[in-house]
Amino acid sequence: MRQLVSWVASACVGFVRACVVMVVSMLVPAVWAAAVALGIWWGAGNPWSWVAPFVLVCVSTLALSRPVCRMVRLLVARWTATVIPAGYRQAGPVTRMSTGYWWNGFSYERTSRDALMDQKWRVRWSDPATWRDLRFTGIAPLTVGLIASIPPAGVAAAVLAFSQSAPFIGILGLVVAIASAPYAWCSVEPVAVRFLRASPAMTLADRVDELTAQRADTTVVQAAEIRRIERDLHDGAQARLVALGLSLATAEKLMETDSDQAKALMQEARVSAATSLTELRELVQGINPPVLNDRGLVDAVRALALDSPLEAAVSADVQLRLDPPIESAVYFGIAELLTNAVKHAHATQARISIARDDTDIVVDVEDNGRGRASARAGGGLAGLRRRLAVFDGTLEITSPAGGPTRVRMMVPCESL
Amino acid sequence: MRIVVAEDLYLLRDGMVRLVEAYGHQVVATATTGPEALDALLTWRPDVSIVDVRMPPTQSDEGLRAALAARSELPGLPILILSQYVEQLYARELLADGAGGIGYFLKESVFDADQFIDALERVADGGTAMDPAVIAKLLSSGSSTRRLGQLTEREHSVLSLMAEGLSNQAIGQRLFLSESAISKYTTSLFGKLGITDDDSNNRRVLAVLTYLNKP
Repeated sequence: MRQLVSWVASACVGFVRACVVMVVSMLVPAVWAAAVALGIWWGAGNPWSWVAPFVLVCVSTLALSRPVCRMVRLLVARWTATVIPAGYRQAGPVTRMSTGYWWNGFSYERTSRDALMDQKWRVRWSDPATWRDLRFTGIAPLTVGLIASIPPAGVAAAVLAFSQSAPFIGILGLVVAIASAPYAWCSVEPVAVRFLRASPAMTLADRVDELTAQRADTTVVQAAEIRRIERDLHDGAQARLVALGLSLATAEKLMETDSDQAKALMQEARVSAATSLTELRELVQGINPPVLNDRGLVDAVRALALDSPLEAAVSADVQLRLDPPIESAVYFGIAELLTNAVKHAHATQARISIARDDTDIVVDVEDNGRGRASARAGGGLAGLRRRLAVFDGTLEITSPAGGPTRVRMMVPCESL
Repeated sequence: MRIVVAEDLYLLRDGMVRLVEAYGHQVVATATTGPEALDALLTWRPDVSIVDVRMPPTQSDEGLRAALAARSELPGLPILILSQYVEQLYARELLADGAGGIGYFLKESVFDADQFIDALERVADGGTAMDPAVIAKLLSSGSSTRRLGQLTEREHSVLSLMAEGLSNQAIGQRLFLSESAISKYTTSLFGKLGITDDDSNNRRVLAVLTYLNKP
């Protein structure tokens, strides 16, 4: 009984969906049919009466292809949870030049509105996604459209047959409609996945753009890091060592005349040497933590947890060694997350788990803080995401107000 | 005292040998790599040895591993570890066996020669000697802050000096208090931490550190 009810429900839902798919995919052919009807009505024999319908067909196909594809993507995403990335080319920014004109990446225009319009059409014209959409609007009616129109066509045939008292054909139509209703709309998913996703060339182009941006980021970050190290050395240890040399020289001079002051200077020099060592140690810790070097990621994270003011528990299933750059990125990522947990979330406890599956290393960091962490532009988490992106890694943050904050870092790595 | 010095940098090794000899001790062997150090420790069985954490051939924690290996062979073999870095993980590993005779110092502690030699002698006697920076980290880390939250500030400073390896008398001198006052503080803090007291200094320090060691 329950099975029957659920089948009827799915048949009803399927019928509605099939109707929706039919309407969406048959929209363009319907316009074509209307244009043909218009041409016949004006006079089928006269070639000039076909000009207007032809223009209508061209313009409407161009104008409708993108909305139809958007619609199909939306329907597929809602019904089957298959997300098909659109992959449309994004327009660049429109900037005002010192001359007062607007530059949109292609041409100068007098007003920003003109510049935006011009840009929109140029981007759309040169976008390979436009041609893909046009192809889909041609393919969809012949495949998805035909299959999805079986149930409505069956019902229509039944209604017609009953009104003309041909019960056999009517019952046949009804049976076809009901039997095909739960399945007819399903063809939309495979067809959309096959023909609507970005082509390899487009994916490749996107990937190149992404990598170019990453390379730019990496170079900037690296240059900044080297500047920081140079500045720290110059202002800290180097200056201190010069002062040390000075006091030793003075002490040497004073040794015979004023041995007490010489002794005091020596003591000062010793303190100064110890301080410069501390500074150097902190500097090295910031570049490459020694435990990470000696023992690898898991022990380094354990050491980090020990040093942290949080009560931090580390669980790691294996003693893994990864490529040093990945290890270092993950380590500094965890360090940053722990710092955030203390500084911003006012957490007292944290849990860190490190695991790896066949393709990824997965690090979860969870704290009991007040939550509301987000990757704002220019913030620490956005920076972390960028640093992980260099290795194709991802950062997921779930942090509702009131906590807890849970951050997952995933970095792909080949098994070593 | 007969001392083994394991350190790969020539300048430091030479300086250290000269320093301990200036204080009237005898260096029986030096080592420049981890395996060499282990060898020297096992053959010479010195009264105390000074071992650097990072040594060839791997330039990772060879020295530390040699020390741990030697101590598992000869329990309680006195070793003073010198490191460039304060690393709680290493300090905890060294203390884990609960036998005395362990020191963990930052390299720059040799600058204060008197204190360094004093610590070396404490370790040779089977006591512990920890760098104040190590103790500060041990006491401030997340897992111990909650447990130590019930201590007063004075008890806290007594505990950290005690953990460095100082005797009650030395603690009293540092804090400008009488020895009897210090022993009152130690009794009360042991009570709070639930450690049964006996009269050996080293047992006491080790008890504290082992207690901190618990996860």
